[in-house]
Amino acid sequence: MGKQSNAQKLFLALVFIILYAPIFFLIFYSFNSNGTMSSFESFTWEHYAAVFDDTRLIMIVLNTVIVALLSALISTAIGVLGALAIVYLKNRKLRNTLLSLNNVLIVSPDVIIGASFLILFTAVGVRLGFASVLISHIAFSVPIVVLMVLPKLLEMSDSLIDAARDLGASGRDVLTRVIIPYIKPGIFAGFFLALTYSLDDFAVTFFVTGNGFSTLSVEIYSMARAGISLTINALSGLIFIVTIGLVLVYYALNRRNRTPVTGVKK
Amino acid sequence: MQNKSTKALYLIPYGAWILLFVVAPIALVVYYSLFDIHGDFTFSNYKAFFSSVYLELTLSSFWYAFLITLFSLLISYPTAYFLTKTKHKQLWLLLIIIPSWINLLLKTYAFIGIFGQYGPINAFFAAIGIGSTQLLFTDFSFIFVSVYIFIPFMILPIFNAIDRLNPALIDASRDLGASPWTTFRRVILPLTMNGVKSGIQVTFIPALSLFMITRLIAGNKVITLGTAIEQQFLVTQNWGMGSTIAVFLILFMFIIMLFTGQKEKGGASVGKTK
Amino acid sequence: MTQQPIIRFDNVSKRYNDDTTVLSNISFEMERGKFYTLLGPSGCGKTTILRLIAGFIEPSSGEIQFNGKKINEVPPNERQVNTVFQDYALFPHLNVFENVAFGLRIKKIKQAEVKRRVEEALRFVNLQGYENREISEMSGGQRQRVAIARAIVNDPEIILLDEPLSALDLKLRTEMQYELRELQQRLGKTFIFVTHDQEEALAMSDEIFVMNAGEIVQSGTPIDIYDEPINRFVADFIGESNIVDGVMIRDHLVRFAGKEFECVDAGLDTNEKIEVVIRPEDLEITSPERGKLIVTVDTQLFRGVHYELSTYDRDGNEWLVHSTRKAQVGDEIGLDFDPEAIHVMRLNESEEDFDRRLESYEVPDHAE
Repeated sequence: MGKQSNAQKLFLALVFIILYAPIFFLIFYSFNSNGTMSSFESFTWEHYAAVFDDTRLIMIVLNTVIVALLSALISTAIGVLGALAIVYLKNRKLRNTLLSLNNVLIVSPDVIIGASFLILFTAVGVRLGFASVLISHIAFSVPIVVLMVLPKLLEMSDSLIDAARDLGASGRDVLTRVIIPYIKPGIFAGFFLALTYSLDDFAVTFFVTGNGFSTLSVEIYSMARAGISLTINALSGLIFIVTIGLVLVYYALNRRNRTPVTGVKK
Repeated sequence: MQNKSTKALYLIPYGAWILLFVVAPIALVVYYSLFDIHGDFTFSNYKAFFSSVYLELTLSSFWYAFLITLFSLLISYPTAYFLTKTKHKQLWLLLIIIPSWINLLLKTYAFIGIFGQYGPINAFFAAIGIGSTQLLFTDFSFIFVSVYIFIPFMILPIFNAIDRLNPALIDASRDLGASPWTTFRRVILPLTMNGVKSGIQVTFIPALSLFMITRLIAGNKVITLGTAIEQQFLVTQNWGMGSTIAVFLILFMFIIMLFTGQKEKGGASVGKTK
Repeated sequence: MTQQPIIRFDNVSKRYNDDTTVLSNISFEMERGKFYTLLGPSGCGKTTILRLIAGFIEPSSGEIQFNGKKINEVPPNERQVNTVFQDYALFPHLNVFENVAFGLRIKKIKQAEVKRRVEEALRFVNLQGYENREISEMSGGQRQRVAIARAIVNDPEIILLDEPLSALDLKLRTEMQYELRELQQRLGKTFIFVTHDQEEALAMSDEIFVMNAGEIVQSGTPIDIYDEPINRFVADFIGESNIVDGVMIRDHLVRFAGKEFECVDAGLDTNEKIEVVIRPEDLEITSPERGKLIVTVDTQLFRGVHYELSTYDRDGNEWLVHSTRKAQVGDEIGLDFDPEAIHVMRLNESEEDFDRRLESYEVPDHAE
C-alpha cells in the first residue's frame, strides 16, 4: 500500500510507547533498592531473591502453571472432538445452535462466568479449590479451541478425505493420517490460547477459588490491594521474560507448521 | 465417511461440556435470581433492580463502557490502519499483541505506581509547574487504564479486516475519482465495519463488567455492573441480587451481540479468495 | 461382447434426499483396458457416475458390477479403483514421496517395496528426483503428475480422472492429453475420464459417453459421435454446428432452408419433421451461382488455421463456415457441400433406433 507519513509514524510510535511503558516501568523499579515505585535509589537483585525465597509464592506459581497446562491439554482434547462433532453434523439448525452455544462463554464477561460457576459448584457440591479452578479453566478454554480448530477443518477440502478413502484408508486412518495432521496448526493455536487464557485469568478464578488455593493473578490482586510491593515488580520481570519465551516458541512452531499448510491454497 | 457411532463419540464430551458449563450455569443464574437472601422465592430482586440505585448504576456502567469503547476505537482504528501499511506488518502486529499476553493484573498494578502520588506523571506535572494532583481513584485513571487494557484486543480484528481488504478496491475507488478521504469513508470504512463491530464487541461487553480495574484503580467505588455483581456475591453474599444483576448483564450482552452481529457482506473476503 | 465387462451399470439411479435426481436409470458397460470419457456440461451427472464407481456414494437403485460382482455397498477403501481428483487432493502435510506412498503405507507394505514402487510410479510420470519436495513447491502440472502417480502406484484395475486437466493452462493441457493417453496405453488399464471439454474427449478417448441431465445421450467412438450426432444437444455440444429445422421429403431427399437437397439418410417417415446438421468445415465457399445455399457474410474472424465466417441465408438462418479462403464482409457468397455432409437427426430418437438406422445405411455402402 501507500507510504507512511511522518505523522503516521509518530502516532504508531506513541501507541507503542504507551503500550510498553507500564511494563518496562514495572521491570525498571524491580531493581530499585528503595522499595518504592517512585524514586530509584540503587540497583539491586534483592526483590528477585525475595521471589525465589518466598516458598508460598513459588507454590502459587507452580499451581498456576499446573492448572494452565492441565486445563489447556484437557480443553484441547474436548475442543478438537467438539470441532469434529460440529463438522460432522449434517443438520444445519443443530450445527448453528451448537456454534452459538459454543460462543456464549467467549463473549460472556468473566464476572458472569465466575459467578455462575460459583453457583454451579455450590449446587453440585464441588469443593472450592484446585478442582473447581481447574474445571472452570477447562470450561472457558474449550470454546476457543473449537474456534481455532473449526476453520482448519472447514478449509480442508472434502476431496482430501475422499482421496484417503480412495487410497485404502479406513475411517481411523483418515482421522490419524489426514485430518489430525492437517488441523495440527489449529490444535496448536488452540492449545496455546487456552494456556494463555488460563495463565491470564483473574476474574473467574477469583470467584471459584477457595481459601486454600490461589493462582498468580489472584495473589497479585491481593498483594496489589495491600499496596506497592517490589516483589510483584520482580515477578512481572520474570513473567515478561517467560512470556516472550513462550511467544517465540509459539511462533517458531507456527512457522514450521505454516509452510505445508499455506501450500493447499492454490 | 466414518460410521455413526464414532461420530456420536465425538459429540459426547463436547455436548456434556455445553450442557454443564453453558446451559446449566445460565439456568442456575436465572433460578437463583428468584430467591432472596433468606432463600425464599420472590421477585423482589427484580423490583430492586428497577429502583433508582441500580438504574443509576446501570446507566453509569453503560456510560463508562461507552467512553472506554469510544476511546479504544479512536486509538485502535488509526493504529490498525497505519500498521497495515508498515513493511513488516505481521511483526509489528505481534509487538502490539505481546503486551496483551502480560498478565492483566501486572499491567494494572503498574499504573498504581505510574499514577501514584509520587509517580512519574505527577513528577512531570510538578516539573512543569502544574503541581501534583490526585490521579489515582479518578474517572480519568479508570478510563485510561481500561482503554490501555482493551486497545490490543480491538486493534486485532480491525487490523485483520483492513488487511483482508482487496487493495484493488482502493485503487478502483481512486480511479473512479474519489479523494483519499472519500475512499476511506465510502470504501474502506464500510468494508472493515465487521472488524470494528467485533472490536466493539470485545471491548464494550467486558467494559460493562469490569471489577478488578475499578477496585484497584478507581478505588472502592461500585460503578459498574461487574463491581455490583462481585459485591453481591463475594462481599454481601446476596447471591439472589447478584444473579439478578447477572441476568440483566446477560440480556445486555445478547442485545449488544445482536447489534454487532456479523452480517456476511463478504466485501473483505472477496479479494482474497479469488 | 466376449470379454466380461469390468464395469457394468444396470438401471442405476441416484437421487439426493427428496427429489433431486442426478442420474436416472443409467445402463452401460465398460471394457477392460480402454480409455473412456464421460462428457457433458456441468451438472449432467458425469462426476456422479465417477463417484459411484469410486464408492464415495451409493446408488439409490439399480446395480453396479465390477468384474461381474455387485459392488453397490463396497466402501471406497476396499475397491480396486483409484481416483485422480479435480483439485488433485494431495495431502499438504506430506511430501511428494509420502503422498504417492500413502496407499502403500495403509496396506503396510515393507519400506523397500514402497520405495521401489513409488520411485517407479514417479518415473512413469517423469517426476524422478522430486521425492523430497513439498507439495507447495510443485507447479500445477507437477501436482497433476503426483496425483496420477499416487493413483497408479496402487496398481488399481481402474483409474478414475475427474476433470484433472481443468486447472492447467492450454499448452500444458494439450501436453498432458498426449501424456495421459500414452500412459493409459502403456499401463493397459481402464481409464475413466470426466470432462466438459469436447476437444479433450475427442483427442483422448476410445469411447465417449455424452451425457445430459442425468442421462447418457449417446455413446460411441469420437469419430462416430462427431460425424453422426444423435440430436441437437450432441451436435451443439461436440464441435461447432449449423443446425436447422427441415422436413424429410422421402428417402435420400431432405428439405431445409427453403430448398431440397440430396442426402444419404433413409428409412424415415415421409414429410417427417427433422433437424439437419452441417459442420462448418464441411461448407465450402464458392460463387453465388454455383452455391447450393446463398448467404451474406456478416462477420469474419481469423482463427489461425482457418477463417470463421458467420453468414445468414435469406430465411435468416445462421451458417457458420470454417474456410481457409477469405471472404468480404457484406458480400453475397455461395456455399457448397456434399450430400454426405448433411446429417439428419430425428426428434426424440432413442440411441438404439439411431444406431440401427445408421447401420442400415452402412450395409449398402459396403456392398457397393
